[in-house]
Amino acid sequence: MKKPIAAVLTAAALSGATLLTTAPAMAHHSAAQFDFQNTVLVEGEVVRARFANPHMRLILEVTDEERGTREIEFEGHSRNNMFRQGFRPDMFEAGDTITIRIAPMKSGADGGYVTAVMTPDGTQIGNVTGAD
Amino acid sequence: MSHLKTALFAGAALTLAGAAAAQDATGGKPDFTGSWTNYRAGNVAGAFTGTGDQMQLTEFGQRAADDFNSLIEGTDHGAGNSCVGSGMPASMLGSGGYPMEIIQRPEQVFVLYEAHAEIRRLYIGDEAQDASMFFPERNGYSTARWEGDRLIVETTNLKTQVDTRYPHSDQAHIVEEYYLDGETEDGARILVAEMTMTDPVFLEEPFTTTKRWQEMEDYHVLTYECSEPKWLDEMAGLYEEAGLEMVQE
Repeated sequence: MKKPIAAVLTAAALSGATLLTTAPAMAHHSAAQFDFQNTVLVEGEVVRARFANPHMRLILEVTDEERGTREIEFEGHSRNNMFRQGFRPDMFEAGDTITIRIAPMKSGADGGYVTAVMTPDGTQIGNVTGAD
Repeated sequence: MSHLKTALFAGAALTLAGAAAAQDATGGKPDFTGSWTNYRAGNVAGAFTGTGDQMQLTEFGQRAADDFNSLIEGTDHGAGNSCVGSGMPASMLGSGGYPMEIIQRPEQVFVLYEAHAEIRRLYIGDEAQDASMFFPERNGYSTARWEGDRLIVETTNLKTQVDTRYPHSDQAHIVEEYYLDGETEDGARILVAEMTMTDPVFLEEPFTTTKRWQEMEDYHVLTYECSEPKWLDEMAGLYEEAGLEMVQE
């Protein structure tokens, strides 16, 4: 049985963050559904992570007061671009509780585009400013 | 011979051998071999001028492009998301965010775009064959010739594409003119491609643009596996249906 977790949804703009890479010149699909101007933090337990091309898929079990506990699927950069942002295969695995920064869905629905992962010491890995 | 003289002689011999090898590899032509990213410096407006939205499409081409875009806007649908390569000219014009690598031989230039592992072969001289004998492809069939220090590449045998920023028909004809154009302030070589696409079906007038890259020394270009997740999901379905444990991830 999975341990209970707490989810924190905190509005946090990417102000002051250093641009690590330029936005990719090509996008694999439309990114109009993601709000990259108002990123938020999400904490949850890793159910499944697949670093792949053209996009990473990350499923977290998330709990909040409004919608309770459920599994949410997030999308992110390609494996190649995630690697260049600083992500590595051993950063986390299923069962770990992690905090990610996402560009949420403009519709307000669950999900979003992963822009960074926060390490336990608060270091931000990645600084994605648009979909690839 | 003293040790010092021996070392100097050996060093000079190696230098000459290296130069000869480079000469052999390119046939004495400019060597574009290297890893390239978008040009980011200087007073040139970005990596390239003349974006796709500046294309003067025919009524037919515009309608075809609009129809496709109306289907995908705001969705996850897209060629790249289905692991399908961009195709020319998008593969070339879009390269640089994901790096482009060039490997050069006298009779053929290989252009490897990391994204979607797209490969173009630019056939030179006797290597070049009649494009019309091959099946059309998204990157077409490219022949090349040297005019001085410039490599002129002609691409035909393309497929009609609306799933691109540069919609075109199978009648499209693309000419690229590659040349080295100095260095950045940091000493990185600059590669330029002047491109013109004509298309009697989709374009009212030729679409012309200039793309620039700068070299990344010792850069680690990656492979780009894309279709595996879809296959793994398909495998998982088969295992689940059979009640078997899938050990492959």
